[in-house]
Amino acid sequence: MKSPVLFKKNLAVSYAAPRILDAGLLAYQEALALQEKTVAEVISGWGTETLIVCEHPPVVTYGRRTPMENILVKPGVLRAAGIDLCPADRGGDVTYHGPGQLVLYPVLDLRRRGRDLHFYLRQLELCVINALRDHYGLNAYRKQGLTGVWVGPYKVASIGIGVKNWVTYHGVAVNVANDMAPFDMIRACGRDGRMAAIASFFRDEHLPVQEVKECLIESFREIFFQNDGGPTR
Amino acid sequence: MIHVYLPELGENASKATISYWYFEVGATVTEGSDLVEVATDKATFNVPAPCSGTLTEITAKEGDVVLAGGVLAAIEEDTAPEEEDDREINASG
Repeated sequence: MKSPVLFKKNLAVSYAAPRILDAGLLAYQEALALQEKTVAEVISGWGTETLIVCEHPPVVTYGRRTPMENILVKPGVLRAAGIDLCPADRGGDVTYHGPGQLVLYPVLDLRRRGRDLHFYLRQLELCVINALRDHYGLNAYRKQGLTGVWVGPYKVASIGIGVKNWVTYHGVAVNVANDMAPFDMIRACGRDGRMAAIASFFRDEHLPVQEVKECLIESFREIFFQNDGGPTR
Repeated sequence: MIHVYLPELGENASKATISYWYFEVGATVTEGSDLVEVATDKATFNVPAPCSGTLTEITAKEGDVVLAGGVLAAIEEDTAPEEEDDREINASG
């Protein structure tokens, strides 16, 4: 008599709770492999929806349709600066990742979330906006017709996603306390304006990356798993 | 012949740009495998092969913009092995 009850209870827990993988400093190619494995598990129906959170060693990444002239320096110059160059099968243009920048890679099943790519992009923006507003009092906002998060005139978070069988990968990069100089080596997106790190808004205070990470994870849970009953649209 | 269509990708995603074909015409494809990648805004979406078979036609090339519901390709579906062949194999075994 007890077995069916336990079975139902376990199902409900695995459906509602995302797996949070805090991978620390993770090479970009390793993060791609981890996402690929997780996506395959979720597509199969046996995997749990997962949020991978990490920072990358310095790397410039570009999509399949990125014009190479958007990388403003030769590969040798990047190498000399200790910056890798990696292709990525995601939307969006060329971008830079480095230590101090938090990257969130949600692997979520959009088959259960309305199958709407743009709605998902807006939810990712909201995840960052809520964290910055609620925990740091920053007037973070999104721009009509663009994708990302801004504070004042500065873009602080970039988004580019990939979707396979309606399961997501890639995600959002939040400039927390990273060196912004490498962004001068690329043309990230002409319409987006200048980029800035959140730490630059707190000149006299230390902004721990770990603390921002916890705020983003909390915001992620609220946006994508706000009801005990499971994922929400 | 099975046609491959661009699915609805969301409320404000009525069209997408073909960004990458994983196969060329004449290739054998497997149901569920990535067939073509399309891009919209800051997202890429992999359209899977709806069946196993031979890719016989690509109607939208890389760089083309396609509306949701538009035809992307055609696949000649694999035919199931005939029962007679099975019997012959069994008889010889």
